[in-house]
Amino acid sequence: MALPLNYSFRNALVRWRSTIATVLGIALVVFVFVLLQSLAAGIEKSSSNTGDPRNIMVVRKGSTAESASLISRQTLTEIRYFEEIARNENGEPIISADVLVLASLPRRDNSGEANVLLRGVTARGMELRPQVKLAAGRWFEAGKREIVVSAKLAKRFANFGIGQSFKTGSATFTVVGWLDGGGSAFDSECWLDADECRSTFERDMYSSFLIRPTDEAAGEKLITRIEADRRFKLKAEKEVEYYRKQTMTAAPIKWLGGFLAVMMSVGAVFAAMNTMYAAVGARTREIGTLRVLGFRRRAVVAALLLEGGLLALVGGVLGCAIAFYWNGYTTATMGMETFSEIVFEFRVTPKLVLEGLAFAVIVGLIGTLFPAIRAARLPVISALKSI
Amino acid sequence: MSANIVTIRNLSKIYQQGDINVTALDNISLDIASGEFLALMGPSGSGKSTLLHIIAGIDRPTNGECRVQDIDVAKLNESQLADWRNQNVGFVFQTFNLIPVLTAYENVELPLLLTRMNRAERRKQVEIALEIVGLADRAKHLPKQLSGGQEQRVAIARALVTDPALVVADEPTGNLDSHSAQEVLGVLRTLSRDAGKTVIMVTHDPKAAAFGSRQIHLEKGELSK
Amino acid sequence: MNLPSFILKNALRNKRRALLSVLSVAMSLFLLVTLQVALRELTNPINDEGSSLRIIVRNKVSLAQPLPARQLQTIDRIPGIVAVTPFSFYGGLYKGDEKFTSFAQFAVDPQRSLPLISDAKGVTKEQLEAWIADRTSCILGKMTADRYGLKVGDRMQFTGQIYPCDLELKIAGIYYGTADDRNLMFHQKYLDELLGNPGTVGTWWLLAASIAEAPLVTDRINKAFANTSAEVRAESERAFVLGFVSMWANIKTLISGISIVVVFALILVTVSTMSMAIRERFRELAILKAIGFKRRELFVLILAESFGLAMFGALLGAGGAWALFNNINIQKMTNGMFLMFEVTPQMLGLAFAVAALLGLLSALLPMINVARTSVVQGLKTLD
Repeated sequence: MALPLNYSFRNALVRWRSTIATVLGIALVVFVFVLLQSLAAGIEKSSSNTGDPRNIMVVRKGSTAESASLISRQTLTEIRYFEEIARNENGEPIISADVLVLASLPRRDNSGEANVLLRGVTARGMELRPQVKLAAGRWFEAGKREIVVSAKLAKRFANFGIGQSFKTGSATFTVVGWLDGGGSAFDSECWLDADECRSTFERDMYSSFLIRPTDEAAGEKLITRIEADRRFKLKAEKEVEYYRKQTMTAAPIKWLGGFLAVMMSVGAVFAAMNTMYAAVGARTREIGTLRVLGFRRRAVVAALLLEGGLLALVGGVLGCAIAFYWNGYTTATMGMETFSEIVFEFRVTPKLVLEGLAFAVIVGLIGTLFPAIRAARLPVISALKSI
Repeated sequence: MSANIVTIRNLSKIYQQGDINVTALDNISLDIASGEFLALMGPSGSGKSTLLHIIAGIDRPTNGECRVQDIDVAKLNESQLADWRNQNVGFVFQTFNLIPVLTAYENVELPLLLTRMNRAERRKQVEIALEIVGLADRAKHLPKQLSGGQEQRVAIARALVTDPALVVADEPTGNLDSHSAQEVLGVLRTLSRDAGKTVIMVTHDPKAAAFGSRQIHLEKGELSK
Repeated sequence: MNLPSFILKNALRNKRRALLSVLSVAMSLFLLVTLQVALRELTNPINDEGSSLRIIVRNKVSLAQPLPARQLQTIDRIPGIVAVTPFSFYGGLYKGDEKFTSFAQFAVDPQRSLPLISDAKGVTKEQLEAWIADRTSCILGKMTADRYGLKVGDRMQFTGQIYPCDLELKIAGIYYGTADDRNLMFHQKYLDELLGNPGTVGTWWLLAASIAEAPLVTDRINKAFANTSAEVRAESERAFVLGFVSMWANIKTLISGISIVVVFALILVTVSTMSMAIRERFRELAILKAIGFKRRELFVLILAESFGLAMFGALLGAGGAWALFNNINIQKMTNGMFLMFEVTPQMLGLAFAVAALLGLLSALLPMINVARTSVVQGLKTLD
């Protein structure tokens, strides 16, 4: 026969002081784990949220990112009229040759400078990226030194307000609008006219091509055709694939989260073991009495495990709740691929919550197991004798 | 110094239990002569333990005075009281209360750590005390290696080791079988008879009380005889 | 027996609990030290005298924007400069690596760079001359050479990630004794050749005549190129690296915040278990009180026990971190992400201070209880 749930529950309440400490300790372990993983999840989410599954992205072979890629103008003229590329109503091929430039700009809070990714983009490029919307102001005009900055970056960098202007290199750009990337990697970019960008920064080469093939099969064919051509030395893949692979920034954070979680949980297991050993020690007589009354060893073990697991679960819920407070909070760091400031949100996903809870319960169960076994092994008589 | 080691006048003790006042001791007056073996008897809740605690300086009266060797114990502060207990009172408890991690020898030595005695002097005292209770051969044993009676005799040795004038025992035989109880009571009697100690023992067992040189009864906080 | 041995016996009364307490203290302090070390490594650049003397000149737009090669003539005329060389970060993927190469490759003018790398040891005069003479050769830091088991005369292949060209370089010499013994240096001329002479370089690297002269030199350079098509930002090597640190943005704050939470969590749990160990002996403390121990003496007993356990934990945790990081090749383990991983005396000091606080806090609750409770109450408590 099993011991009633209430037995486990009330026992945890009796030792409220050490119970609270254990619960809080586990809560903080889970909090750190979930928070760091939610950071990594946010970075990954913003990458995987980017792109149109129909588009093909072309960069130079060997480049880790668009911003570090260089493609000659001659290559554009050669690829431009491939029959796999779709045409718009005016008969123009839907291909956008973008130029990406890193500009080191001052932060708003005077805490130094950081790189911002500027994208020189064409009208085609804007059509190909419908997820980028105008949040305020207007789009830039071709041939003018105007720029549309990400609304999220505007909160972090100086002179990014609409109507303000900033100087980079020899040029001064006026901010005419804010863009909203809808939680994608474009939230970390500033857009300006491609030709203007090339002339200002003296760029003879393009950084990347974004192409809309006529259909899925043509897309596959295009990828093979571009990659196979030895003259180009280009890499082509689906735009969504390209962004999904941009995980270099998230990896060390995930690693740190895992490392801290493991180290902290070892400490937490020690502490939980101490608490439960003490609980068992103080209840030796009581456990002996239960055994005399006819409860089996496994009922005692089960009740104690339940007690430990319950405590840990409460801690886990609390930890997730604290971490959830940051859900959706926008933060930024240097992207390892683009080498520029990337903006993203903490994402406490259901999967992370479940992982956090499972993690807590495991810590609780491991911490309780040995004390519980010890309690079950106590001979009934000695249990009754001890005072 | 008067012939009475303990003089109690109009002593009362009232506990606050929630909103209710519980009178544990009600206007008690009592003299205890030096060298007496006094058995304090009475049913549970009669106030006998409270009286013992006040005499031993671990509890304070609400009213009245309790003089031990002409010192009004209630007037001492905590720190003075601690010193006073160390020098003048030896305690024996129902549950022995030896420190489980210390050997018999070390348990007896414990109160002497608070004195200025050096190691050799302490050794001499501890050996005498263990000799008196007849456990010199068990000095190196831990409490769990001793029988209940032996444990209680070690506790008595611990009470004796500072050579106090007063030994108080609270139900010293309560946890012992009758044979061990006889041994312990014998030792206590020897203390008062041969070593000139005043022994005050709380008990509810008439057989144990019979070892005393005088018995008094407490009933609902008052002396009934 | 004496008081210290009584304290020791008490602390070890429950050996398992003492061990678990010590281990959890050790674990939390090990973590504290590790996080401190990592944070210092990320935010505190190498700070030798040379890093204030050496100056990096980059395009004002950003590091990724190249500079015109013709600027060299102007820089050569600026006073206070001992040496100047092109300094282009090639950023290639080494053939042996799959995704990520942990060492940097810089294109320089070997002859001009000699004063800048004067602290490099282990390269003979002949090897230096061979490097200068052969435009497809390079010199390599010893750390990298050891890592890949390379020796003088070996060839290395790189895939360009930033520049659209691949490299094959012959090792002319292997150096050590600089601030960062990982880097590879090869000929800017060779890179120019492969790229079809674009007339640009990544950055300029120069050596100021003296520390006093260094800030003046950076000013002069910044002014010399103001209002040209390629404005520059000249700064000391140290300031340059600090600029990188600022780019980490919120992550830095986040990690320091988290290390505080980590330590707090473990302290909380440890304090609770350690004070529980003493609370359980409440009755015993009452008996000690009855036989004449004063409050002060009981405080000493309690404090010494929890203090001792905490300190032992600190010794194990912080000392363990110190011993570990001094004896492992951290560079190898983290793929070159961390170089030094040095435990400073301040960090050890912090760890022990935290342990002291921990000992104090664990003793506090039981001490308050002991002070508050009378002997009679204490004797009544059963456990």
